Amino acid sequence: MSLPRVLCARFPHLALVVAWRDHPELRSEPVIVGGAPELRLPVLAASAAARASGVHPGQPLREAQQRCPEAAFVAADEVSVAHLREELLSRLNRLAPVVEVGDEVAWCDLTGRHAAHPDSTGWAVAVARCIQELLDDDDVAVGVASSRQVAEIAARQAGPHHIRRVAPGEEAAFLAPLPLSVLPLEPAVAARLAALGLDCVGAVANLSAADLQRQFGPVGMDLWHQARGGDGRGEWSPGHGLGIPDPPRRLGERILLEGGTGDLEALRFAVHRSALDLGDRLRHHGCRAAAVILVCELEDAEPSGLRITPLQQPGSGAELWPVALELLAGMALTAPVTAVRLEVEGLRPGAGRQVDLWRGGDAAGEEIGGVASRLRARFGQTAVRRAELTVDPGDLPERRFRWIDPVAADAGGEGRGARAAGVATELTAAGGASEGSRGRTSEHRQVTAASGVPAAVMPLLRR
Amino acid sequence: MPTPLSEALATLRRRHGEAVIRSGDALGGVEAWPTGLPVLDHRLTPGGLPVGRVSLLAAASGASGRLTLLQALVAVASRERTAVYLDLVGSLDPGFLADLGADLSALLVLRSPSGRWGEGFSMARSLVVAGAPWLAIALPAAGAGSGPAGGSRPRSDLGWEHRLSTLVESVAARRAVCLVSAAAPLPAALGYASSLTLECAADGWEEAHGDVLGLRTHLTVVKSKVSTPGETAALLLRYPRPFAAAEAVGRPAVVDLTATRKVLDVPAVASDIPAVAG
Repeated sequence: MSLPRVLCARFPHLALVVAWRDHPELRSEPVIVGGAPELRLPVLAASAAARASGVHPGQPLREAQQRCPEAAFVAADEVSVAHLREELLSRLNRLAPVVEVGDEVAWCDLTGRHAAHPDSTGWAVAVARCIQELLDDDDVAVGVASSRQVAEIAARQAGPHHIRRVAPGEEAAFLAPLPLSVLPLEPAVAARLAALGLDCVGAVANLSAADLQRQFGPVGMDLWHQARGGDGRGEWSPGHGLGIPDPPRRLGERILLEGGTGDLEALRFAVHRSALDLGDRLRHHGCRAAAVILVCELEDAEPSGLRITPLQQPGSGAELWPVALELLAGMALTAPVTAVRLEVEGLRPGAGRQVDLWRGGDAAGEEIGGVASRLRARFGQTAVRRAELTVDPGDLPERRFRWIDPVAADAGGEGRGARAAGVATELTAAGGASEGSRGRTSEHRQVTAASGVPAAVMPLLRR
Repeated sequence: MPTPLSEALATLRRRHGEAVIRSGDALGGVEAWPTGLPVLDHRLTPGGLPVGRVSLLAAASGASGRLTLLQALVAVASRERTAVYLDLVGSLDPGFLADLGADLSALLVLRSPSGRWGEGFSMARSLVVAGAPWLAIALPAAGAGSGPAGGSRPRSDLGWEHRLSTLVESVAARRAVCLVSAAAPLPAALGYASSLTLECAADGWEEAHGDVLGLRTHLTVVKSKVSTPGETAALLLRYPRPFAAAEAVGRPAVVDLTATRKVLDVPAVASDIPAVAG
């Protein structure tokens, strides 16, 4: 099995690159992107010359003008930035199987071996050149390591037009002499570490996990992982590359039609709606479907269904809709339709797949959380709990920790299965995960037409 | 020409699937979860605790260190993955687990409201089926109290052996690690379900300046389906203390005394052990 390798490339903000493309004469001038200085908006990006004057992203534009009066202020062209981001993603996908592109940073999974670049250094150079050519800028810094965070720190340490490689197993040694400011620490934690005389990552790495957790709680565990070259709890750890969760094998959407209908327009609307929703979920999972199934449930009759294996595997709503329409056209309906079910199966990672870089958690974690919540509902709140160290424990041992609801503790961010508000949805996981698979095998969602359909279409569905 | 045996095999395969009958050479070895403790990973077990099997820390009686060792291993597991701790003893101190280095945010603590073993096993099984990869079970002595209010195990806890067998099946199906701590008298069903049984016997308290630093314990592999039984090792289970110098330098909670004594050539001196549980 290949050792995981993650490449991090840092480059000028894409909004700044777009501004330089539109105004080549500003290449050597201080440029601030965000809008006119009169606007009460923050700085989105600043060129190196402007940064040298003390301007930084997030600063109010008015303050930026005071610090750098000679700078040119440019409004951000969000459409062009989005196009540039898509183009960068597309090009990097030709070089690496898993890519994440942000406005100032890109990540590529270099685990394994590339056919055209058998040498890992050559592979990293090819990625760096690809970014340089597209952005027409040499100011690209690249770091390669076995974890996401170490790769980013290596990129920062490399500086423009350089590649910094951290060999597998040498992450801790690479981090040890660096100041603690390279780690993403909260100011309070950083201040406390400084007060304890810990001024470099190596000093923190030498502490035990227990000691750090006693001092800082869960943050201490993150710090413990990070100081040793990991990515912190709940994110990605060495050995998992960019850590993509397994996709489900089958997805489904079902729309109930009140009272049954034979109206083709109503059916077309329901299938269209299902296709778009299902397409969103395919995009969310970064998958393409090998087969599409449309089933119409009939009043007082057996359901009628068709299955198709499309030549081009759909990975979005726009691609899924023509396939679903073709299925609907081929359907011979003998009775009013009470529900429409659109399913996709044979899911596999699609090209150009984006990973959820900023969101922790995985399908297994949510499954465990769901079961824990059901156990609490059945056996009481004390049946399943999670402990948390208290900040001010006092002298009594029982005050050192407090019990918390494990599900509520996990629900800090948006759940993976949570969907857009305003539509009554019911998400059910059908069947257990297969052996050896971390992901759900299938998930089907049901939407009642009454809750999810615009009022103007309701009469059609009730007919 | 089909023989009666081949016909019977074909019938079984047709009725229950291809996987029900396999040749012996297709079974392969047992995957192991490395504990990070060399004494366990290299001397007592082949590579660590077996995955998809039930391992058992058993003790004769009194203070043996089985719970401390169980919790030290839970602490290691919680730093890597989600761990579940089924506390049927009712004495878990999360603060002690944190001192051992556990990541409390990755640890789910289960307690059976009625104190019944069967109920606890069912709860644990649900989480294993959902994907919990590491399960620790702390069992009281077979006749001792385990409910929230103490007292003896309810008489209605019949059929816990059946729940245990379904838990064992789920652990095998989901490739989870399951470690059970139990005191004598060991129920027969538990001993039967275990693939690896380590017997803990106390050697004495580790003391310094009149203060108890830890417990010396003797581990013996009394049953093993994954390696050769009979191996032994001596351990020091060090009790961590918040803000002590040893914690600041990251001393491990489990120290292999066998290796240390070989290096230092220092004989072990056992202290008297009071007859207390735990």
